Amino acid sequence: MWKYLLKKEFKQFLRDPGMPRMTLMFPFLIILVFPFAASMEVKNIKLAIVDNDNSLQSTLLTEKCASSGYFEICSNGNSPSQAQAMMDKGTIDAILTIDAGFAKFLEGSAPSSDDLPVGIKVNTVNGTRGSIGSQYLNACVSSYVMGIKSATGTSVGQIEIKETNLYNQFQDYKLFMIPALIVIAITMMCGFLPALNIVSEKEKGTIEQINVTPVSKFAFIACKMIPYVVVAYFMVFSCMLLARIAFGYGCAGSLLDISIFTLAHIIVMASFGLLVSNYSENAQQAMFIIWFFSMIFMLMSGIFTPIDSMPDWAKIITYANPLRYFADAMRGIILKGSTLADTWFDLTCLLGLGGLTTLWAVLSYHKTN
Amino acid sequence: MENREKTVIIKHLVKRFGDFTAVNDISFDVHKGEIFGFLGANGAGKTTAIRILCGLSKPTSGEGTVAGYNIRNQQEAIKKHIGYMSQKFSLYPDLKVWENIELFGGIYGLSDKQIAEKTTKMLKALSMEDARDMFVRDMPLGWKQKLAFSISMVHDPQIVFLDEPTGGVDPVTRRNFWKMIYQAASNGVTVFVTTHYMDEAEYCDRVSIMVDGVVEALGSPSQLKERYSANTMDEVFTKIAGRSIREE
Repeated sequence: MWKYLLKKEFKQFLRDPGMPRMTLMFPFLIILVFPFAASMEVKNIKLAIVDNDNSLQSTLLTEKCASSGYFEICSNGNSPSQAQAMMDKGTIDAILTIDAGFAKFLEGSAPSSDDLPVGIKVNTVNGTRGSIGSQYLNACVSSYVMGIKSATGTSVGQIEIKETNLYNQFQDYKLFMIPALIVIAITMMCGFLPALNIVSEKEKGTIEQINVTPVSKFAFIACKMIPYVVVAYFMVFSCMLLARIAFGYGCAGSLLDISIFTLAHIIVMASFGLLVSNYSENAQQAMFIIWFFSMIFMLMSGIFTPIDSMPDWAKIITYANPLRYFADAMRGIILKGSTLADTWFDLTCLLGLGGLTTLWAVLSYHKTN
Repeated sequence: MENREKTVIIKHLVKRFGDFTAVNDISFDVHKGEIFGFLGANGAGKTTAIRILCGLSKPTSGEGTVAGYNIRNQQEAIKKHIGYMSQKFSLYPDLKVWENIELFGGIYGLSDKQIAEKTTKMLKALSMEDARDMFVRDMPLGWKQKLAFSISMVHDPQIVFLDEPTGGVDPVTRRNFWKMIYQAASNGVTVFVTTHYMDEAEYCDRVSIMVDGVVEALGSPSQLKERYSANTMDEVFTKIAGRSIREE
């Protein structure tokens, strides 16, 4: 019986006008397109420089900023009020003011207790861009000052903080996003498409024909899921392969761990999808429920914004979100090389959620009502 | 008739949805090899009753057996021994003709060899040998209905339930369809059929007419015509169904 049902599902999947193409396109989108669009890296910050020192040092600092790659020097040599007017109009994002005495300060002729005669103003209408921009600018100035001071041998008078980036050494945002984008793709593939598939059988009336046969509900559902499980694994591994070819990203952890987590996530999402289909009579209803939950799943998963910076009530909601655990584990395994010993909490929660949704889905699916 | 084997026995069957009683205390028997016409206006409760007999729905109260299995708790056993074809056409449109036959054959536990034999035989009987590789969605409705009927009997069931099998089908195809029904009945299959075509009711061995969830009349077409002093089943139906107070 299984053989024939599986044959049917695979044939229907392959004959669908959209599905096979979508399956092949998705990995390319996930690896080659989305990471660039979903990047939070801030580049091309428009910078105005107000140089009141007009020294060699101030010119060098300006060049240092320009060569960092993050800034685009829009104007140089304006008065402070002109620069302010430009920021008000929104043509620039940041102003770097170098006050008179900058060169002297660096040469050490000014008392070292004085403040550094450099000012930074940032436009924070876009909060992320503003705060990251000011960090970059700060880093630029302080690294320049440090460089000069240590070269001239004068004491800095400050504790020097040296950062070391672990696991994602160059803070490459793409590397951080790819595991999470794979998570989203699996969620769509295994949670939502089977739900729509079952609802479309309801709409066509073919499910009634199946319900009147002795097919067990377990066999029917399992055979519906298997093609999507195959597709999910294809997506995970083709994405990772593509990431390796295109960007040279490897996987720090074991592929077996990834497979285990993928399966756990499939179980959660597939049973969730089934649950949706049990409670929807038509595709429109199912689509709406899916859309509603996918918003919550994605925004409250820590994929785009860190969970740690959410308020407590929002953190509680994330505990019920399977994407939270899968994304956390995927990032851990791919970036840090986490093992099951490190990610057991994620796996336990994922399996717990899966058990719950599976039980509910099976109880609410009736061949006879 | 009375000494013949009974394949469907229904006693005091009731189905309620909330405070709406769709089927209100109906009782009847159907014999092996009989063509049993199950008539009634839209909303009279026919489909609900058929769904219970097929194991798709649980009765609120009442007893009954279909093919010897209890309708209350042996639904899955019933499903092995019946065929079902609904008013809503239910083959897979994106599968080919032979693939639909294979699928349902496989579901009912036929072996590959049996399926291959069945497919050849069935397509020959339907004169559809050339349509073997056709997608079901591309077939004319009449063909689809005939194919669906044949497929519903792929596992040689004892009873086949046909819920308005000829809806929307042209007269010639309808006549051919009824030839197939006679053929099945002569092979000992019990045919339980609902229809809105009263000429088809004349072809049945016995007919029951449901009104507002109750079986108002039951008997052979000639008996009913005599009892209601009517010339055709159409008149009988109009007289009986006219008593309905339930809105559609």
